Parts: sequence; structure tokens; C-alpha cells
Amino acid sequence: MHQAKLIDSLTYPETAKTHKILFGIALIAGLISLAGLFTDTKQFFFSYLTSFVFIASIGLGCLFFVMIHYITRSEYGVTLRRIPETYSSNMLYVGLLFIPILFGMQYLYPWTDQALLAKDQLIADKTPYLNTTFFIIRNVIYFGIWSFLGYRLYTNATNLDKTGDLSLDAAQRKVSAPGLFIFGFTTAFASFDWMMSLDPAWFSTMFGVYLFAMSFQVFFAVTILTVLYLRSKQLLTNTITNAHMRDISLLFFGFTVFYAYIAFGQYFLIYYANFPKSILWYYNRFDGGYDTMAWLLLFGKFVVPFILMLPAKAKTNMKIVGSMSVLIIALHFVEIYWIVMPTLHKGTAVFHWLDITLLISLSAVFLGLFFSKFRSNNMVSNNDPRLQASLSKH
Amino acid sequence: MSQKTTYIPEPELVQGNHTFGSITSLVGDIVETPAPRWWYIAFAVSNLLLGLLLAMLAYLIWEGTGVWGLQNPVGWGWAIVNFVWWVGIGHAGTLISAILFLFRQGWRTAINRFAEAMTIFAVMCAGIFPAVHVGRIWVIYWVFPLPNQMQMWPNFNSPLLWDVFAVSTYFTVSLLFWYVGLVPDLATLRDRVKSKLGKMLYGTFALGWTGGNRQWQHYEKSYLILAGLATPLVLSVHTIVSFDFAVSIIPGWHTTIFPPYFVAGAVFSGFAMVMTLMLITRKIYGLQDIMTINHIEKMNIIILVTGNMVGFAYIMEFFIAWYSGFEYEKFAFVNRAFGPYAWAYWIMFLCNVISPQFFWSKKMRTSITASFILSIVVNIGMWFERFVITVTSLAQDYIPASWGYYSPTWVDILTYVGTFGLFFSNFLLFLRFLPMVAIAEVKMVMPQADPHNYDEDGNELPKESH
Repeated sequence: MHQAKLIDSLTYPETAKTHKILFGIALIAGLISLAGLFTDTKQFFFSYLTSFVFIASIGLGCLFFVMIHYITRSEYGVTLRRIPETYSSNMLYVGLLFIPILFGMQYLYPWTDQALLAKDQLIADKTPYLNTTFFIIRNVIYFGIWSFLGYRLYTNATNLDKTGDLSLDAAQRKVSAPGLFIFGFTTAFASFDWMMSLDPAWFSTMFGVYLFAMSFQVFFAVTILTVLYLRSKQLLTNTITNAHMRDISLLFFGFTVFYAYIAFGQYFLIYYANFPKSILWYYNRFDGGYDTMAWLLLFGKFVVPFILMLPAKAKTNMKIVGSMSVLIIALHFVEIYWIVMPTLHKGTAVFHWLDITLLISLSAVFLGLFFSKFRSNNMVSNNDPRLQASLSKH
Repeated sequence: MSQKTTYIPEPELVQGNHTFGSITSLVGDIVETPAPRWWYIAFAVSNLLLGLLLAMLAYLIWEGTGVWGLQNPVGWGWAIVNFVWWVGIGHAGTLISAILFLFRQGWRTAINRFAEAMTIFAVMCAGIFPAVHVGRIWVIYWVFPLPNQMQMWPNFNSPLLWDVFAVSTYFTVSLLFWYVGLVPDLATLRDRVKSKLGKMLYGTFALGWTGGNRQWQHYEKSYLILAGLATPLVLSVHTIVSFDFAVSIIPGWHTTIFPPYFVAGAVFSGFAMVMTLMLITRKIYGLQDIMTINHIEKMNIIILVTGNMVGFAYIMEFFIAWYSGFEYEKFAFVNRAFGPYAWAYWIMFLCNVISPQFFWSKKMRTSITASFILSIVVNIGMWFERFVITVTSLAQDYIPASWGYYSPTWVDILTYVGTFGLFFSNFLLFLRFLPMVAIAEVKMVMPQADPHNYDEDGNELPKESH
């Protein structure tokens, strides 16, 4: 058998206008959405939060993958890694996109309402944690840590491309190991802050793991679709091979099951115990249109992908894996919507155009940032010490 | 831009320039040569403990569960603690054999046989406790949905019943998985042993294995399917064990993080147990070339990761107990850390959360002494974790008048000690009569198994072979 060599061009075409088009879309959708800020302020912030968590969770999923890739010295991931690496290197910008939420806190979070705190002792008891100052401090810390990790891992990797200095590869592991440890806690507390505290009476120890499981599942979908996009442009067709796609699809399948396990575990324990304090959260999400979404999530995020991606052959069939990725990304948004929106529209799901314009705007920013960075460096780490092993996978 | 760096190979999984033949003799000779004296001594001690277990169980069944330390409000004591502890230890075997197999982790081959055997024996020890705790063991078959004239059915809503099915399925699949993996190696032993009886027995269980191409194809397919089946079982068994607690509405038990937290804890303690046993056997039987320092380091990393997951869960539980604003929830956790069982809580915390942190240092991860000590510390910690969860949540319940302090009786203690007799008797028999390393699988990860015609930099060798 012939030993594989790096034969593709590793640079994203300079002439490509992908990022400019995306930024244009983001701007237009953003401007349209701004109109909503004045007509329906509360709706604006809820829609904004939904779309924000959508892109932030993708970034977090990517960041986790990059770190776990280094820790496990994964071979299959070498050719793919630059994609999530680039996504997660933009966590600083994602953090900047969080700032509008700080201005909408009084619309989003009931615990900012002094009148409610005076009435409701249960929520008043939580003020040492749930208060505006600490909320801001915490989020600065989260985004500071994630931005640092994403940026550091990205620059180390691109420097390795340029210099071939292998000590940088070891440095990646030194960043990743404590990085993963901190990532676990920051993601969990971020999930409490962003989404769990929308309903300050509700609590679930699993919630952080739940957001993580969702993020990691959607990371696979996003990465797979990005690769398929590159392939459609005839890029990296010989570098990211079927062997790599098979492995990432296998993990996509595995973490789809993991997501289902976590999501079901949380639901099931709350359902079974049937405590008034915690069951109401689910009760509101199984009512007035939200129930349809819940069923959609069960089938679309687990049952259908599980059945279709189970056969070994399906994992190299990019029609199946690609369509499942689209489905998972769409439903990932639906799931965040399903978590966030019942706080605003209790009882009946009300669709609002802001949900779509803000989703388009924020996603286009996120993708635009990706493509603008993706063209400035190699699309594959050409000096990675495990590249040869990765290329030779079959 | 071209590549500047060259391929850096990972360290070889098998050290010491072995050939296929020398691997076979290294493992096979252990079975074929007479057992050393220490083995007889260890086996005798284990048998004595096994006898102790049987005596304790006979006494329990004769007298009833009153001989245990259970009394209101602590209705669950050492029995469930020991059950969860043993079944948790069992998880590493399936994790190593099935999940690492699906992830194509070549290093698992050195320890999978060993860990699978441990799984089976640990699950046997675990199974004893739920079986005997029913009191009237002679009607244990009532847990099965058998039609009967009393119109009595098991409560399908109860995780305790799911446990019966989960653990028995797990045991069956683990046993099958272990056996299927053993077949090629049993054939190797059949072809090597001198004694007639040995030839006959190994031959019978080798199922006529000849090592033909077709046989290997079937073998690999069935192994893959069993790995696929065993993987959800790893999750399901300990998830259901966690449900035993978490579906209740007892503060300290009802918390949603329990399923993944229990699974992580199980893998944590299981790896620690594999480590303890592996470090002893590799030394005694001279298997350092197969179970290398690299293996030990990788296992220690898994211990560190799962230990941190467990620590994460402890912290989340504590935080959410406060955050819930629910006074009973708060009390349950504060009482754990500062109440009458604080000693147990802090032993747990030190052993499970603090002690694995030593493995951040590469020096500790690759030190045999440190690995050995910490692996034992971890298992002590995990026993206390189950004790803390079970007992502290019950001892101080909603009615202060009924608060109590639970202590085990001598029967509790000796039964637990006796389970080690069952475990080690089986384990020693395994070491004596079966190949403790998957010979065929280890060969597959050796460089000889991957003949190729290019050099380490990926350049083709001058002579084209096909």
C-alpha cells in the first residue's frame, strides 16, 4: 500500500468572499432585528439569548474537542482539527456578543426584579449568587478563560505550522489538561447563569452536563458540515479522508447517544420524583406547542439519527451523516428555544420573526469570523507530529 | 507549504523486542508450569475467607436480616454499599474491553482479559447482596414476572427490579464477551499443554478453533457486536443503580446528576482495582513487557479524569443544594460534611477528590509505588462514597425524633470481608488456568502485525512488493 502524502493545497482560496458575504448578511439581519429591539424589547432579548446560546454552545463544543484531541493524542482528528480550532479561537468575539444580554438582564432574569425578591423569599435567598454584579463578574471570568484557551490553542497550533517547533505540541497538552478541568466548571456555571436562572426557582444538578452534552453533539454536526462544504469546493479532498470522516461520524453517533442519555436522565428523574418544585419546569415545556418540540427533540435528536447512523456503512455515507448534521443543528436551536422561551411565552409557543433574524445575524457573524480566520492560516496543521499517522489511516 | 516535521511514532505497546512466539510462551507458560508456592498460600487464604462468607450468609438466612445493623431510620446499610461498590468495580472491565475497543485504543489489549475477569468476579460478589437482603431467599424467584395464583407481580415501576434485569444482563454479556475473546487463546493452550486432561478441557472450550481466515472473520464480527452490546450496558447498569437512589424523594438521593456521576465513579473505582491487581501480577509473573509503564500512565490519566468528574459532581450537588433554597436539601448536604458522619464524608473527599490530583504530575503517574498506593486509596474512598450517600441521607430524616446513628454488626463486616474470599478465589483460579493476557490481541498491536513497505517517514522502500 502506498503511504499517503500531503498533496492538497492547504490554504483557503484568498479570493473567496465567503466571510464578506456572511458579514453582510449578519449586518442586514442585525439591522432588521434592531427594529425589534424598539418594538418588542422583551422578545428581542429572549430571542437574542436563544441565538447567543446557540453560537456560544457551538464554540464551547469546539473548544472541548480541541482540548480532548490533544490530551488523547488523537490521530484521526489531526486533519480536521483546524476547523473546531478556528471556531473556538473566536470565543472572545462570542464574549463581546454577550454584552447586549447584560443590558437586557431586567427583561430576561426575574431575580433582577427587586419587587419579586421582596415577595418571594425562596428567590431572595439566592441573591448571594443571583445578583447583577456577580453575574457580570462570572461571565467576564467565563469568557476570559474560554477566550484565552481558544486563542492560545489556536496560536500555538498555527505557530507550529510556521516554525515546526515540536515543543509547541507538548505545550498544547499543558494548556489542555487544566483547560478541560476549568472548562467543566465554567460551562456548568454558565449554563446555570444563562438558562437555568431564567426560572430562578428551578434547579437541576445535571443542567451543566446537559448543556455540555448538547454542545458537544452539535460540535460534531458543525464540523462535519464544514468539511462537506470544503469538499464541495474541492478543498482538502485528499487530506480529510473517508477514514477521518468515519471516525468523526462514529463519535458523532456516540455522543448523540450520550446527549440522549443525559437529556433523558434529567427528565426522567424529575418526572419520576414529581416534586412540585422541579416538575413545573418540564410541565411548562410539555404544553401549548412546546410538547410538539419535545417530541421532535426525542425523535430528531436521538431516535432517527440513532437508527440511521447505527450501521457501520452509514458512517462513511456522507448523505446520511450530512443530513443528520443538518437535522441536529436545527434541533439544537429548537432545544435552546424550548429551554428559554417557555419563560417568556408561558403556556403557548409563540413564534416571533426576531427568533429568525437574530439567529441568522448571530450565526452569520459566527461563521463570518470563522471564514475570515480560516483563510489566514493553513486549513490543516502541516507540521503536526501525528499528521503522517493521520494521513495513513485507512 | 510542505511538512517540516517527520512522523513521531508512539512508544511501542509491547516492549522488549518480543516475537509472536515469545509472547505466547510468556503468557502460556504461566498456565503450563506448576503453580508457585505463594499461589497455594493465597488460594488457601481466599478459600478460608470464602468459607467465612458462606457461613455468614447461612447465618443470615437462618436468623433473618435482623443480624445486620439495619434499623429505623437506616433501612439500607452495608449491604447496598457493598453491592454498589462491587458492581462499580466491575465497570472497568467492560469499559476497557468494549468502549476502548470501539474507540480503537490498541493499549487495551494488555489488560482487557484481566479486567474482564475482574468484572465477572466483582459482579458475582455484588449480586450476593441484593439476593440475600430479601430475607426470604427461598422465594427470590418472585422478582421474575411469573404467572401465579396469588396474582402477584413484581413492581415494574421500581428501579430495584430493573436492577435485577440490568445486573443479570450485564453479567451474561460480560461473560459471553470474555469467553468469545478467550476462544483463540484457549486453542493456543490446547495446542501447547502436555497433559491429556488439559488438552481435552481446553480443546472443548476452544470450540474447534483452528485460526482459519473464515473463523477470524466470524470472530471479529461477533466481537464487535458484543462490544456494541456491552457498551450501553456499562452505562445502563450503573445508571439503574443510581436510580435506586435518585428516583426517591429523599434529600441527598434525589439529584439529577446521579446517573453520569455514578457511571464516572464506577469507572474510577474499577480502574483503580484493575491497577491494584495488575501491579501485583505483572511483577509476580514478569509481564512488564506487556503491561508497560505506558499502560499504567494511561490508566492513571483515566483515574484522574474520572476522579475529577466525581469531584465535579460533589461540588455540583453541594452548590445546587444551596441554590435550590430547599431547607431539607441544604440540611442533607451540610449534615454530610459536618454532621455525625463527617468523618466518612471527609475520608471520601480526601480519597476520591484530593488523592487523584497527584496524577497531574507525570512522575507520580509513572511511579509504580504511587500508583499502587493511590489505587487502593481510591477504592477505599469509593466505598465511603456509597456509605456516605446511603447512610447519611437516611440517618437524619424529616423527623428528628427518629434520628439514629447506624453502625454495622460483626455479621455485616465479616460478610463484606468474605466477599473478598469469593473474589480472590475466582481470580486466583483465573490466573492459574486461563491466559491472563489476550495473547492473540496483543500480537495484533505488535509491529510485526503491520507489515508495510514504507519507512517511518512515509517514503516507499525501493523494492515494490505488490
